[in-house]
Amino acid sequence: MTHPAPAPKRPDVRQEVRKAAELLSRPHNPGGRGVTSDLSVDEVLLLHSVEWEPVDLVFGSGLASVPAGVWTWGQGEIGPASESHAMAFRAAANRLASECTRVGGHGVVGVHVEAEVHRLHIDVELVGTAVRPVRAGNAPQVFSSDLSARDFVLLVQAGWMPLGLAFGASFTYVPRRGVGTTIRQKAQNVELTNFTEAMYSAREAAMARLQDFGLSLGAHGLVDATVSEGPMAFARHAIGFTAWATAVKMVADEHRRLAPQVVLPLDDAVVQFEATSLRD
Amino acid sequence: MTQSGPDLPEAAERRLESGSFSSGLTVPDFAACLSMGLRPVGLVQGFCAMQWAWYGSGSPYMRGLNPYAPGASNRGSYVENYNCPHGFVSAEHRMWGQNYEQPWIEAAWAQGYETAYRRMVEEAQDAGAHGIVGVTNQVHQLTDAAVTEFHLLGTAVVVEDGPAPAEGPWTTYLAGQRLAKLFEAGFVPISVVAVLTSVRIWAYCITAYLMEGGMYSWGGYGPHDIDQVASAHMAARGLARERVRSQLGGDVLHGAHMEMARREIGEGDEVVECTLLGTRVRRFKDFDPLAKAMPTVRLT
Repeated sequence: MTHPAPAPKRPDVRQEVRKAAELLSRPHNPGGRGVTSDLSVDEVLLLHSVEWEPVDLVFGSGLASVPAGVWTWGQGEIGPASESHAMAFRAAANRLASECTRVGGHGVVGVHVEAEVHRLHIDVELVGTAVRPVRAGNAPQVFSSDLSARDFVLLVQAGWMPLGLAFGASFTYVPRRGVGTTIRQKAQNVELTNFTEAMYSAREAAMARLQDFGLSLGAHGLVDATVSEGPMAFARHAIGFTAWATAVKMVADEHRRLAPQVVLPLDDAVVQFEATSLRD
Repeated sequence: MTQSGPDLPEAAERRLESGSFSSGLTVPDFAACLSMGLRPVGLVQGFCAMQWAWYGSGSPYMRGLNPYAPGASNRGSYVENYNCPHGFVSAEHRMWGQNYEQPWIEAAWAQGYETAYRRMVEEAQDAGAHGIVGVTNQVHQLTDAAVTEFHLLGTAVVVEDGPAPAEGPWTTYLAGQRLAKLFEAGFVPISVVAVLTSVRIWAYCITAYLMEGGMYSWGGYGPHDIDQVASAHMAARGLARERVRSQLGGDVLHGAHMEMARREIGEGDEVVECTLLGTRVRRFKDFDPLAKAMPTVRLT
């Protein structure tokens, strides 16, 4: 029978706090370039455990116009709106990558995606933290990912790497029902197949674009896809489907199983009367 | 006990000297503080109400400065010009456009925030505290008038058996376990940091057309990038990051939170404001690398 390795000695937090207070009791000589990051302490430490570090907070904005009149009732996909979404997303992603390269990052993790579809323009905002391997030089190509630093570490440990943010969107008109059908269905509990079909149509187009984008990055797959769908607030007869995900590629010879350890916590999940040690 | 600041009301001094403590900490955070050797001494707050009438609707400053008007300049600030490519001369055609930083708005916001912050720190100093944990800050309209209230609140603490900080009490948005992890990771909080940057977009013809769903040029139907607005967004965010960096003195901004607000004024004109806040932290011991994290699956 094998015994688990002894746990590392737990640091005395009171001692650490006193040590910190002693540093602050002395005058500080400012110097060097400050680092900005929106990562939590846990995330910074997890990154360090795989020898990566945060470099700077980076962002990318993209706005694209939607030509007037495209939302009036028609048939099929609203091509200019779908194209506008792709344009705004691409511009934001390019600016994010440029920022990352400029600050010496190898990639961006935890990207927050804000995509707003307005009647006459689409606004995409991306914000995340640029990261790099500790003491590494510049990267030939940078990645971006909406995975948290925690997920990024898990991915790296499993032998995979993110390649970039892939996205796809489609906006589709909901076909009109005929007058007879409308009157017939008025007092019925019935599926409105025109809406369902429009939804499926938008979904298929958007997911195909998402997948094509991943393939164009050389990805083996996409993880953590975020999808949103529904009628436009300013045009209820138009359905929008947007999706984005992190494109990933296996860089190890084979997938490394993480073999998580099953734990049965005996503590109360809510009340914690002790500062939890990082090394527990 | 340190000397109280000039802004602290006399009643507050008496309250802070009463002997018992008040705190905004939850019970778990309170217990975590005690286990770290941080003794709460009082709930401290700072307020500041700023009038923004000069920058409200109808204000000449709100509408922005005409870069061609005599004396109109905001020297040293971000400015980007856009010129009409069409060559029209018409009162209705926007022959020029400009993105420019509005330092007077940023200064007013900074004055409100820093005054409230200073008042909170003064209360903590008066209570003999070494730091303030669990800081929250709220910025909101006080009434329906153009009055903005800045309110900072936190729990003043003393490091038991620890020396007083040389540069006044330290402050942090963190409390409880998160603060404990920060110390264990080798970082000490220095101060909460917050900035607001404001960029005014004065749209030129192409931006105005595109934001209204128009075309880029003759026959150019279809979507187009709206560079002027995207540049303004990038500038507002970039300025916020650099302003914060200038306050870091080589330290690290931890847990940054960046938020954008847009206010449309019409036909492509808008004001973009970016708020960036976080806790400035400093390393007090060498990095102690951790073992690789062990993945676990909880059975609950």
